[in-house]
Amino acid sequence: MQIVHIILSLLLALFIGIFFSGLSRKIMARIHWRYGPPITQPVIDLIRLFNQRGVSHGRLFDLGIILALAGSLVVVLLLPVGSIHPLSGSGGLLVILYMMLLAPLGIALSGGEAANPNTSIGISRKLLLAMGYEVPLLFILLAVMTHYKTISIVQIVGMQQETRWALVSLPMLLSGIAYILILPAVLGVRPFEIVQAPQEISSGPMVEFGGPFLGLAMIQHALGLYVGIALFVNLFLGGAGNPLTFFIKMLVVFVLGIFINAALPRLRIEQAIRYLWRWPTAFAFVGLVVVVLLR
Amino acid sequence: MSAGLVLAVAFGGSLITYILGKVSSRIRDVFAVLVSLALVAMIALLLAGDGGNSSYFDFLGLSLLLRTNMLSLFFAITISVLGALSIIFSLSYIRNRERTDFYYLMLLLINAAMLGIVLSGDLLSFFIFWEIMSWSTFLLISYNRGAALAAGMKYIVMSIFGSLAMLVGVISIYTKFGTLNISEIAAVIEQAGSGYVVSLLILFFTAFGIKNAILPFHSWLPPAHAEAPSPFSSILSGILIKMGTYGFILFMYVIVGVNRFIDIGHGVLSFRYILSILGAITILIPTFIALLQDDAKKLLAWSTIGQAGYIILGIAFGTSVSVAGGMFHFFNHSVFKGLLFLAVGAVEYRTNGVRDLNSLGGLIKKMPVTFTGALIGACGLIGLPLTNGFVSKWLIYKTLILEQSPFLAFAALFGTWGTILYSYKLIHNVFLGQLPERYADIRKSPLSMQLPIITLSSIIILFGIFPGVPLKIINSIGVSLGFDALDVSLWGIASESGTLNVINLFAAIIIGAVLAGIVLKAAPKSVTVSQEDTYAAGAAIPKDRYNYTMNFYNPVSRMISPYLKDFIDAFYMKLAGWTQGVCSGARRIYTGYVGHYVMYIVLLLAVLIFVQLRWSPW
Repeated sequence: MQIVHIILSLLLALFIGIFFSGLSRKIMARIHWRYGPPITQPVIDLIRLFNQRGVSHGRLFDLGIILALAGSLVVVLLLPVGSIHPLSGSGGLLVILYMMLLAPLGIALSGGEAANPNTSIGISRKLLLAMGYEVPLLFILLAVMTHYKTISIVQIVGMQQETRWALVSLPMLLSGIAYILILPAVLGVRPFEIVQAPQEISSGPMVEFGGPFLGLAMIQHALGLYVGIALFVNLFLGGAGNPLTFFIKMLVVFVLGIFINAALPRLRIEQAIRYLWRWPTAFAFVGLVVVVLLR
Repeated sequence: MSAGLVLAVAFGGSLITYILGKVSSRIRDVFAVLVSLALVAMIALLLAGDGGNSSYFDFLGLSLLLRTNMLSLFFAITISVLGALSIIFSLSYIRNRERTDFYYLMLLLINAAMLGIVLSGDLLSFFIFWEIMSWSTFLLISYNRGAALAAGMKYIVMSIFGSLAMLVGVISIYTKFGTLNISEIAAVIEQAGSGYVVSLLILFFTAFGIKNAILPFHSWLPPAHAEAPSPFSSILSGILIKMGTYGFILFMYVIVGVNRFIDIGHGVLSFRYILSILGAITILIPTFIALLQDDAKKLLAWSTIGQAGYIILGIAFGTSVSVAGGMFHFFNHSVFKGLLFLAVGAVEYRTNGVRDLNSLGGLIKKMPVTFTGALIGACGLIGLPLTNGFVSKWLIYKTLILEQSPFLAFAALFGTWGTILYSYKLIHNVFLGQLPERYADIRKSPLSMQLPIITLSSIIILFGIFPGVPLKIINSIGVSLGFDALDVSLWGIASESGTLNVINLFAAIIIGAVLAGIVLKAAPKSVTVSQEDTYAAGAAIPKDRYNYTMNFYNPVSRMISPYLKDFIDAFYMKLAGWTQGVCSGARRIYTGYVGHYVMYIVLLLAVLIFVQLRWSPW
């Protein structure tokens, strides 16, 4: 049963992640009055990339990308989808927080072995952006954990199923708003597409990846999309009873996000951090204070 | 096996090493390594046996005691292991330098003194060993001369201040209770009033806080760690400052006792809460100052202050889980920070003393073992899962969250983000990125440097996957201090509100990595090219022209650096300058003319007579 759950949640995450990547390009294109690529474009790209020859810069280059993907896969297993939660008893939300580190760290180590200035700039931006959104994110997660008095994400979902969504229960409202405000930064989509920034630093940390390496990096990125949204759905939209409701909730959040973000230009890194440390942090901080006062 | 024998070997060994050095440097090296390894073995034997008190000397009617229990042996084994590895590392590091005999004498003497501190059973021996440690540390920090002299001076001035506070405390305890025996004090301190206990704690915590480099007593640490010889930096950061931690545990939980300590004050003003807040501040500020450093050892030094904050936060918070987390973090920090200082030392050794992060780079292929060690050390420092640092930090976070202190938890968690940033900067700027032309034919580090690096890296991974081994010892210490027992298994820790099971995570990561590896293997084989063969959008990147690592976090360091000046250090320096000014002003009265001195005496008499006539106080 455990094995089935593991495979099921991995497949679901891969499907949703890759589907969302395709969907976002289509919706973006339509908002920009273009026709856009077919929704299956990421799948076509992946098949092509895995049949191409890659260029490697050494052993750490290979290991780094493997580590990044492995980290993302583990996070997927830690996030409950309805009753499917294969690894939930292994440390709770704190472990998720840490496991989410492995992906950027792996990409950074991998890219670091090449002597490409774009990689260095991209990695520096990624780590700084992460530090930027981590301030409000930590306040939000602490508010959730303090409010529900547990560090287990399964229990948090369970308590919301019994009562109501965290987003609409009064003490958590401000934290929920703060999470919505930082969601694009967590996902790394526009206007926070600072790390890749194709026109500026030729996809930053990914610049040296080609062929199968780029394929793995794409899968990792897709899983990253899944993780960011799934965390929000689990923490604030009450998770789900079955995978289908979970998928619908994720889809709504993602599409709404794209509508807003497609209209915004890319920020500079300082602007992004300034934004993240201003309103989202204020909301998240007040949210935590409210939770502490109301406990 | 008795504690007295351990100390005899430790102190005797250091002196014999010095004498042997006058005969032959080879014999001295072998002997120093043997002594340090023998200490490890003896303490391991003690750990297997049962503890107790033993008197070794009578001094002015006070019997000086040694005692062995789990707490002291847990610290002792850490001291002896890291000490032995640091001696092995020194073999090639310090060869061809001057005053090597003196170096080994001091290194072994410091180890011996630290063993003495944790094994002493009364406060007088504690104080004596504490002073031996402080003074020999001062001599070894200043070993390199130049900037190291100023660093050592700063250390010893602050250290003396702490020692004086401790001495006052010791004397006060003796006059009040008539004994300096630790277990006897613990028994009679219940009779003392709260005010007395608080003032006693403040006196001793000044001494321990200075050694442990808690804000606002941290300012000696960065220059001292940076300027000391690298193997000694690893001892300094790994265990020496933790003598403060030992002192904290000793006074909070052995002497004052758990229940008494937690009851001092209440609410936000309780003693443990204030100390926890100090710990949290000590995590936050130094971590972000570390981010701004360009000197590898300075970066690690600031990081040490930050990590010491975690230890203090865990220990001062005073629940059974947090104290276990704090003690485990003490052990873990010794291992990975020791490792990182050794790795940086190996780079420093091969590049002839370069530790500037802006001029190194790309050493991964030149020094693979050192790189792997540094990477594992950095992962432990961040607390990535499957390293020991993860387990200890998890324990601290968990208890802070579940005990409803989210703001302390925020400090701890956000400090970890700063840790990620500076750890990656260290790894990237030394080992990754472009290899400068001048380091093209650098050789890998010698075996005597690789050996300690490999040992410490293995400990990090081993206790990351089997955290139960040290946690069982820590648990028994906790129980002996009067805390609730934890449900420790080999893989982690179980409790009703959140379990940790490392083996699941380990399996999951391995399976994930294997899956990704299979996909990569199944794809067409990649071509390996040199690191200069990169994509630059059609324009070739000239070799060795640009420095990609300069100002690695420039956008943010520009934002935060104005707020992160070390105001406290500036204040101390101003205080020192002001004191010097006053004293040199006061010195002017010594003119050398007898006439002037006679005048002072007459003036004083005149003032005294005037006072007596006016107010008649006498």
